[in-house]
Amino acid sequence: MRLFQKTNFNFIKHRRVAYAVSVLLLVAGMASLFTRGLNYGIDFKGGSEVVIRFAKPVDVGAVRSVIGQAGVRGSVKQYGMERAVLLSTDYHGETADLKGLIIRALADRMPGNPGEVVSIQAVGPSIASDMKWAAMKALGAALIGILLYVSARFEIKFATAGVIAIFHDVLSVLGLFSILGGLFDFMPLEVDQSIIAAFLTIAGYSITDTVVVYDRIRERIRGQKPAEYERIFNESMNQTLSRTIITSGTLMISVLVLFIFAGPAIRGFAFAMFAGIVVGTYSSIFVAAPIVFDWQQRSKSAIKLRGA
Amino acid sequence: MKNNRFKLILIAVVALVSVWSIWPTYRDYELSKKLSGFRSSEDSLKFSIDHRAEIEQAREKSLKLGLDLRGGMHLVMEVDLFDLIEQKAWNKDARFQQIMAGVKSASATSGASPVELLAAEFKTQNIPLSRYFYDIRNSDQEIVDKLNNESQDALKRAKEIIRNRIDQYGVAEPLIQTQGSRRLIIELSGVTDETRVRKLLKGTAKLEFKLVKDPETLLRAIESVNAMLSQASPAPADSAAAVTAAGAHSARKLSDVIGVMKNGVVFTPEYSRDYVATLLNRDDVRARLPQDTELLLAAKPEQTEKGEKYFPIYLVKKSPELTGGVITEAKATFGAQNVQPEVSMSMNDEGTSKWARITGANIGKQIAIVLDGAVYSAPVVQSRIPNGNSVINGISGLDEAKDLEIILKAGALPAPVRILEERTVGPSLGSDYIRAGLQSLAWGFAAVALFMIVYYNKAGLAADFALVLNILVVVSVLAGFKASLSLPGIAGIVLTMGMAVDANVLIYERIREELAEGKSLKMAVDAGYGRAFSSILDSHVTTLAAAFLLSQFGVGPVQGFAVTLMIGTGASLFTAIIVTRVIFEMLLDSGFMNEKSFG
Repeated sequence: MRLFQKTNFNFIKHRRVAYAVSVLLLVAGMASLFTRGLNYGIDFKGGSEVVIRFAKPVDVGAVRSVIGQAGVRGSVKQYGMERAVLLSTDYHGETADLKGLIIRALADRMPGNPGEVVSIQAVGPSIASDMKWAAMKALGAALIGILLYVSARFEIKFATAGVIAIFHDVLSVLGLFSILGGLFDFMPLEVDQSIIAAFLTIAGYSITDTVVVYDRIRERIRGQKPAEYERIFNESMNQTLSRTIITSGTLMISVLVLFIFAGPAIRGFAFAMFAGIVVGTYSSIFVAAPIVFDWQQRSKSAIKLRGA
Repeated sequence: MKNNRFKLILIAVVALVSVWSIWPTYRDYELSKKLSGFRSSEDSLKFSIDHRAEIEQAREKSLKLGLDLRGGMHLVMEVDLFDLIEQKAWNKDARFQQIMAGVKSASATSGASPVELLAAEFKTQNIPLSRYFYDIRNSDQEIVDKLNNESQDALKRAKEIIRNRIDQYGVAEPLIQTQGSRRLIIELSGVTDETRVRKLLKGTAKLEFKLVKDPETLLRAIESVNAMLSQASPAPADSAAAVTAAGAHSARKLSDVIGVMKNGVVFTPEYSRDYVATLLNRDDVRARLPQDTELLLAAKPEQTEKGEKYFPIYLVKKSPELTGGVITEAKATFGAQNVQPEVSMSMNDEGTSKWARITGANIGKQIAIVLDGAVYSAPVVQSRIPNGNSVINGISGLDEAKDLEIILKAGALPAPVRILEERTVGPSLGSDYIRAGLQSLAWGFAAVALFMIVYYNKAGLAADFALVLNILVVVSVLAGFKASLSLPGIAGIVLTMGMAVDANVLIYERIREELAEGKSLKMAVDAGYGRAFSSILDSHVTTLAAAFLLSQFGVGPVQGFAVTLMIGTGASLFTAIIVTRVIFEMLLDSGFMNEKSFG
């Protein structure tokens, strides 16, 4: 079976449209990041999350009012599981006290539908700020590491464009999290450790599609005149289009399965991965290779390949 | 062909080692299924006795599930090194307290160790550390080194003591690690009573024997405090204290919350206990007491004939006569004359001789047994106690007595500990997660495998075979290295499935292209593997790098994901490039594959 027979898109000709789309996406994301900010999970802001499961289906509003009247400040939402609600609060004292308070209030006010605390997570503020630092360090180190590897493997223009594409991908997903954060009950899109895991995986994977396109361009460009570059870039991208999309496609299948089946704890991660794969595939065709092309046009010299 | 034989042997060895490593997990599963299948408990007991060795061995070597899947507690605790530093300091004055307060607030936002922060602060204020620490002749650097050693030692001791406590409480396979300069990570599976465990871990168990002052001194001290309070401004200094106790809103005079019985016992009713406790902690109240004394509340209330509960208040000598360090043995028992549980203790030689001297010199006086700042009992010394025995009573339940026994036996923590992070998953949620994980694995595999067959035909089948081997390798490496499988770990496996076939996609697309150019099948396969290799290597290296960094930074759950991703990516390099290639060459030789086999 083949999804893509011989294609002949003129990617290079329309690259400015693609740049505009990317810039728009990034600007919207950054604007939201600065105005709305991010919806941090307790990993990074501290506080407690309690999952309460009930014996029978339950009205979230009723639970919210019972818990509110018990004196617990915080939000009560449907947890992405049957009969379960998630209470998030900035409380970070004794979890036993919090648990006792909730259990007593529920037993008192909703006697017909006993609730059980099935999970408690509490993170103190000092450890939350530590985790934030560690996350930033890991992201920074990953980007530097990939930059070093890519610049050791490829010529400077290819390497730089590839790293720009990685930044593009990670920042787009981050922006998306800021724009969509808190809009959906079934996935709150809170930025926690698992989202950092997704960002790192996206950063590592983003280069995969880019490399496929790069390798083909480098293979074909050897000894060609700069006037031929536009044609070669376009042909290379068309020739690798099928594998670029199929490799992303298989990964997307996995991520979709995780989104659907793996439960609420993994859903935010799966969403981030999905968005990252879509943006990453797009950027390897519409961002990375066109930047190399533009750069080359401006410098007016033939691309020198290592070992050529 | 010779080359192929080597590769075939390699594949067979990898597959066999994987199966060998996973085998105990399978046996463990089979055996526990069998055990739960028996109708009577005698049958299951007989079976488990007969097959004990096998069951234990299988369990020992089987793949461990993470805390989130089997239910349990994950805790991050911090040893309060500031407390330790304060313990080490001498002639502490207001200046010292002020510096400590500043350093404490600075450490909330800084990752530097408390000792470093303290040294830096002393340096900027131009005070030698030797004014407060160790010997006056020590240089700053020597003192910093000493304090650092003490801190490291405290963390190590705290870890050992907490391990002792957990072992004696009885939790299967606890995991205790140190993290950084002052943190402990503790993982406990299958804990049913979290509150009790938390108390057990945090209990500093500072046991002290203190002399109780005579009633007249106590009364005078109370009067002195009372006089001071009624002179002071009407608003309570501490607004938090005012709301803690229900009846204490207008309690400006001590006589409202503290009473004196005819027999000289000073007490506070149960409802104002919290208020009085904060009051007794106030510096201005403490200042009114006689030199080297303090007021302490009883740990448990006593009852009047009418059933009203009250807490006795004691005035004791602040410096203890003896501390818990001398305790060698502790045992929770029931007292002789009543059903009240108590903990009896014996002391080492040094403690025994001291205890004999103290009791001998104070016959007819009360000695308070103080645990973590609360008086458990204050018996009157009847005679000299020569054998080093003592008893803590006034304990409300047997559980508490047993926990006290554990804590006293394991020894006191060198400094107080705090719980910074806690993640508890109940077993019912854990089994839900297991189901979700298994479903994701099954669907993920089915979807990816089916896609490869539909899209690439027989070549897809070869990729699927490689995929199975890949998953086998991941699981066996996890089991073999005693890593545990968590839900994020399962997510990592599912993700790996999607990524592992990528290498095959790159190779197959290239082969298709070469075939379209009219090359022979053999040449196309060679070219496909040869030319796709550099792209495959690049993508694997970058993913491995990202996963490695993640495993370094991440804690608990995220680490599980990073580890499976790393193993999976590494394994896919082997399976996609070597395994499928050998399959191809065999199939090509046997004529089973032709140009159409690549879809």
